[in-house]
Amino acid sequence: MKQAKGGRLETGMKKASKNRQTGLPHRVTCLGALGLAFLMFVGAIYGTGVHIDAKSTKEDVITLRVCNWEEYMDLGDWDEEETIDLESGDIYGERALYQEFEDWYYEHYGKRVKVEYSCFGTNEELYNMLTLGDEFDLVCPSEYMIMKLLAEDWLVPYSEDFYDESNPANYYIRNVSPYIRNVFETNEIGGIYWNQYAAGYMWGITGLLYNPEEVSEEQVSTWAALSDPELFRQVTIKDNVRDAFFAAVGAVKSKELTSQAFVSDPDYPEHLADEMNDVSAENIARVLDYLQDVKDNVYSFETDSGKADMVTGKVLANLQWSGDAVYAMDQAEEDELYLNFSVPKECTNLWFDGWVMLKNGIAGDADKQQAAEAFVNFLSIPENAVRNMYYIGYTSVIAGGEDGDEVWEYLDWTYGAEEEEEEIATYDVSYFFAGGQPEAEETYLLTVPEEQTRRQLYAQYPQEEVMERSAIMRYFDAEANAAINQMWISVRCYNILDMPTWGWILVVLAVFAITVFLIYSRRERSYEIKEKKQSI
Amino acid sequence: MKVTFSRRQLAIPYVIYLLIFVVAPLVVIVSYAFTNGDGRPTLQNLIGFFTNPNTLGTLVYSLLLALVTTVICLLIAYPVAFVLSQSKWKARSVVVMLFVMPMWINFTLRITALKEILTAIEGNLAFHPFFNSVIGMTYDFLPFMILPIYTQLTRLDHSLVEAAADLGANPVQTFLRITLPLSVPGIISAVSMVFLPAMTNYVVLDMLYNSTYIMGSLIGSYFSAYDWHGGSMISLLMLLMICLFTLVTRGTEESAQVRGGTIV
Amino acid sequence: MKKYLGTLIVVLVLLLVYAPILILTVYSFTDATSIGFAGHFSVHNYVTLFTTPELADMIWGTVALALGAAFLATILGTLGAIGSFYAKHKWQSAINLVNQIPVINADVVTGFSICILLVAVFGISKDTYIPLVIGHVTLCAPFVYLSVLPKLGQMDPSIYEAALDLGASPSYALRKVVLPQIMSGVLSGFAMAITLSLDDYFVATYTKPATFDTISTYVVNATRGSQTEIKTALWALSTIIFLIVLAVALMMNRMQGRTDNERRAKAAERA
Repeated sequence: MKQAKGGRLETGMKKASKNRQTGLPHRVTCLGALGLAFLMFVGAIYGTGVHIDAKSTKEDVITLRVCNWEEYMDLGDWDEEETIDLESGDIYGERALYQEFEDWYYEHYGKRVKVEYSCFGTNEELYNMLTLGDEFDLVCPSEYMIMKLLAEDWLVPYSEDFYDESNPANYYIRNVSPYIRNVFETNEIGGIYWNQYAAGYMWGITGLLYNPEEVSEEQVSTWAALSDPELFRQVTIKDNVRDAFFAAVGAVKSKELTSQAFVSDPDYPEHLADEMNDVSAENIARVLDYLQDVKDNVYSFETDSGKADMVTGKVLANLQWSGDAVYAMDQAEEDELYLNFSVPKECTNLWFDGWVMLKNGIAGDADKQQAAEAFVNFLSIPENAVRNMYYIGYTSVIAGGEDGDEVWEYLDWTYGAEEEEEEIATYDVSYFFAGGQPEAEETYLLTVPEEQTRRQLYAQYPQEEVMERSAIMRYFDAEANAAINQMWISVRCYNILDMPTWGWILVVLAVFAITVFLIYSRRERSYEIKEKKQSI
Repeated sequence: MKVTFSRRQLAIPYVIYLLIFVVAPLVVIVSYAFTNGDGRPTLQNLIGFFTNPNTLGTLVYSLLLALVTTVICLLIAYPVAFVLSQSKWKARSVVVMLFVMPMWINFTLRITALKEILTAIEGNLAFHPFFNSVIGMTYDFLPFMILPIYTQLTRLDHSLVEAAADLGANPVQTFLRITLPLSVPGIISAVSMVFLPAMTNYVVLDMLYNSTYIMGSLIGSYFSAYDWHGGSMISLLMLLMICLFTLVTRGTEESAQVRGGTIV
Repeated sequence: MKKYLGTLIVVLVLLLVYAPILILTVYSFTDATSIGFAGHFSVHNYVTLFTTPELADMIWGTVALALGAAFLATILGTLGAIGSFYAKHKWQSAINLVNQIPVINADVVTGFSICILLVAVFGISKDTYIPLVIGHVTLCAPFVYLSVLPKLGQMDPSIYEAALDLGASPSYALRKVVLPQIMSGVLSGFAMAITLSLDDYFVATYTKPATFDTISTYVVNATRGSQTEIKTALWALSTIIFLIVLAVALMMNRMQGRTDNERRAKAAERA
């Protein structure tokens, strides 16, 4: 795993220059509009090594426009020594998965397909791209954006054949984890279940990454760690409203959420989800209040730098997504710093990124839809799922089974205890691999070094008891969304009611000084004018 | 056929450009500031700003930050400009050039450099967010402060200073009565180049781990939330601030020319 | 004593201004990842800077944008200044007033307002680069206008009239008579436009396509990111820009010195 991370930088950059290629036709169209200077401009850009691909315009080639998160798919080009040698064979990423798909599709479906692959940075950015008229056939947003797109009628449902387990080409439905499958089949928005429109890709939870040498497990067992004065300026929070809101709700409702009565209620999962998605005005006000305390306690609101800050020891704890936590733990180990991952006792945010087909892209084209569904199936072949996991560090929704046990073997290959290991533990991931089939469960017990129950494995495949306190964050309606966005902006503001007396004194002094200056300069001016008149 | 045109017609492309890309955006900002998401006219954005203790606090915080920055910049810049203008060094123009040069390095790179130094000194920058922001802003804007004052001081009529001395004024009196008042236009243009940017340059705060918002960050965060209306209201408030400032200091043209003249 | 105090102040402030840049320059030649940590001599930052395509893209992108925007802004601003100079007073002051708006406006507001007009109202995608170029031209053109206008005032108006009397067409007279006279203003306007475009962060961040970066937007993203390799490569970039600026400054100073000497020599001749 570590080696793959070393190569990430380079491969991520290859992707960036590819992005630019897709932006090029636009650029050419605007040449006429802005004239000569643009020629210079574009000419100089050409100097940077961007070239237009001679596009094959044969009609029988299906063009599939895929838009995915940045660094969210194996782009191939691995080093020799990165080969994953599993029992069932070696796994090695030669080319980008979407390029390999083109050949695979021709082999299996007899049609040529060209994948135009591009990337987005945030869900909101993707949504904005779509509203501004960019057309894609297949995109991979997070669950709440899928719900928003679904509610706004952007999406095309998967065909019935996609769910036919007897068809060997349907790798997704045959290999998806039963646990994840159940989530997609039981969650709905407006009476429509997710699985009709979305196929899972990666999933994870949120938690706190921490340095166990400086921070006790107890301290980070609650979301209130974010405002813990003992971690003053040594903890970071994500700079996005949904993650921050979720953590803050966990902190302000901590007592209630962990009370025996609440946890033992038969409807605990539903109640938990309701509480975590409480967008009532009074809850938003409490969250605002709490997050302002957090603002005055944290080191930074970070989008990506938190990982590096943990690794370099600048901060001791960090609100983190499970996949990035794995990445940070790997990085830290290279410097012999061992970080742990904690899932707060109140609740954790279970999230998904999934593939959805867009109406404006597919536009009723059956060939296109078939290719899009085949693309999802291709990514769901266990071997490809492993390649993605190895490359990006997140957890695939694919468990494998009928079409190969690579995912399970990969897990054992990555985390399994060496024979000479002294402290070992048994780690149960049956819920993910076997789900509702109790007879198969003992197959999915891992024997791992004891510390892995707190480290990468714990983040990548949390145990079932953790998943029991997980909740999905819903998609909020426009009104609630506006309220939360305003709350999020207010959090970072300086509350005037908190201003110390010296601040007020300074304000008064400043106003006084400006007034004096004004009067003074007015007098100067009238004096000057008089002088001028006299000289005339 | 000979093309005939009058010289004043040459301004037409520029006038059209200004109308479309300077005047029209302002009209759009005003109209967005007073409408809501459904396009209906509303005063809610304005009222919301002035009734929310958080956004109001941001205004005060930005004003304070800008004020402190400006005063510190002035306290550093004035003596430097004064010494430079009085000096008879051969290399004076080189020294002046040295003060101007940092302006040509993008401020993000300069603040990166400063951040590294401050981190080495302080360890954890988040302990003193306001203090560090003031340092960052001062560091960023100091060249913009020195040059206008220096330019103004070199233009100063020396016979007045000599006359004052002849009439028995001591150097301090001469400075307070003659030099300082006469350098006010330079100070005003310098302040105009520091004060407003210090209220809006939120990147400096971001890079130095100050998570409190200033006016510029409000525009930025409304922008990233795709709330054009909220962002427009803040922009409008900033524009009003500028109008107020130019009204107060009059002579916008002169100070603007000084601003332009300082860069190259 | 007083004299030394003055020198001391100047030297001290200069040191303050240059300390961060100089320290960064030293550290850019080491393998240290933070200032204050000991490192060994290494040029790996420079290797990264020149071999990473992403970094090269953004550097050339920034330069291309600056050149393109400055070119457009210079044409627009110069024509505007000539036209406005000969226009009726009422018109001239109106143009002057509007011209001031982008000059004194906060860059954040300029960028935001252009973005809202082009993207939200006209629906032009940022991927077309139109908003970005227009944003930068709007940022630069008023300064070109401001630097050309005074040169027109200093020009002898009778030369243009004389050219017309001698049968030159207005456009010929403008090109051959007026333009050479105001050329210094046009050139300094162009230089100023390049400087402004290179220094900009805010206009670019509101108007650029998602896949395009200028140096400033790239640096800001990099400080939010987690890759130390990029962070230290940016030290190398700072160093290089610093050296280029230093070289340009020295060159300009030398040129100025030469013209001063010539002037002095001429004055001596006359005397």
